[in-house]
Amino acid sequence: MLVITRKPGERIMIGDDIVVTVIEVKGSLVKLGVDAPKSISIHRQEISDRIRKQNLEASGIDVSDLNMAVAILNKTQ
Amino acid sequence: MQVKITTTRFGTISVKKDKIIYMPSGMLGFPERKHFVLFGHKENSPFFWYQSVDDPSLAFVVTSPFLFVPDYNVEADEAAKSMSWNDADENDLELYVVANIPKGEPDKITANLIGPILINIRKRQAVQMVIPSSPYSHKFPLAGRN
Repeated sequence: MLVITRKPGERIMIGDDIVVTVIEVKGSLVKLGVDAPKSISIHRQEISDRIRKQNLEASGIDVSDLNMAVAILNKTQ
Repeated sequence: MQVKITTTRFGTISVKKDKIIYMPSGMLGFPERKHFVLFGHKENSPFFWYQSVDDPSLAFVVTSPFLFVPDYNVEADEAAKSMSWNDADENDLELYVVANIPKGEPDKITANLIGPILINIRKRQAVQMVIPSSPYSHKFPLAGRN
């Protein structure tokens, strides 16, 4: 990991197309601005972590689990 | 042209080669699994199996989010751009969400609405999107919500 210390208003370049700006520091909170091409997804790490975790949990479903779920869904229609 | 795929749930299955979907980044958590096939679960079921071609034991249960959330709406432009699908129109694109069933609790089936799989059916490519901020849940309950 590259660790860089910045003051509010200063920027970091990632590659040619991504700019991270430190906008404000208030107590323990850091406000960052990110400029990047629309094709690059920018999101809090917790979000992709959540999706990854769901994928892992969801990767082991048996056919019988699904059959039972469908039976329940069709009953509660 | 047909190819044979080994699966742990369905044995050896035969699929049309042009039905194989390529995901350059794989699925989140499974970045090396880049080839999948989509096939229906069974009659009267809204679900599909999204079976890995590379890993016989890996398969996801997916469904259309609109069946459960009629006004489900996500911005797909960025994902399409990231895949260089510059000429995709809405007829080329299909959206699926991954379902999860806790072991032994089929009534607690949920769907992940923040990580939909966007499939370009014309190019046979797909990407799992990350929806950064939305009213949607990664554990949206499907039972009692048809």
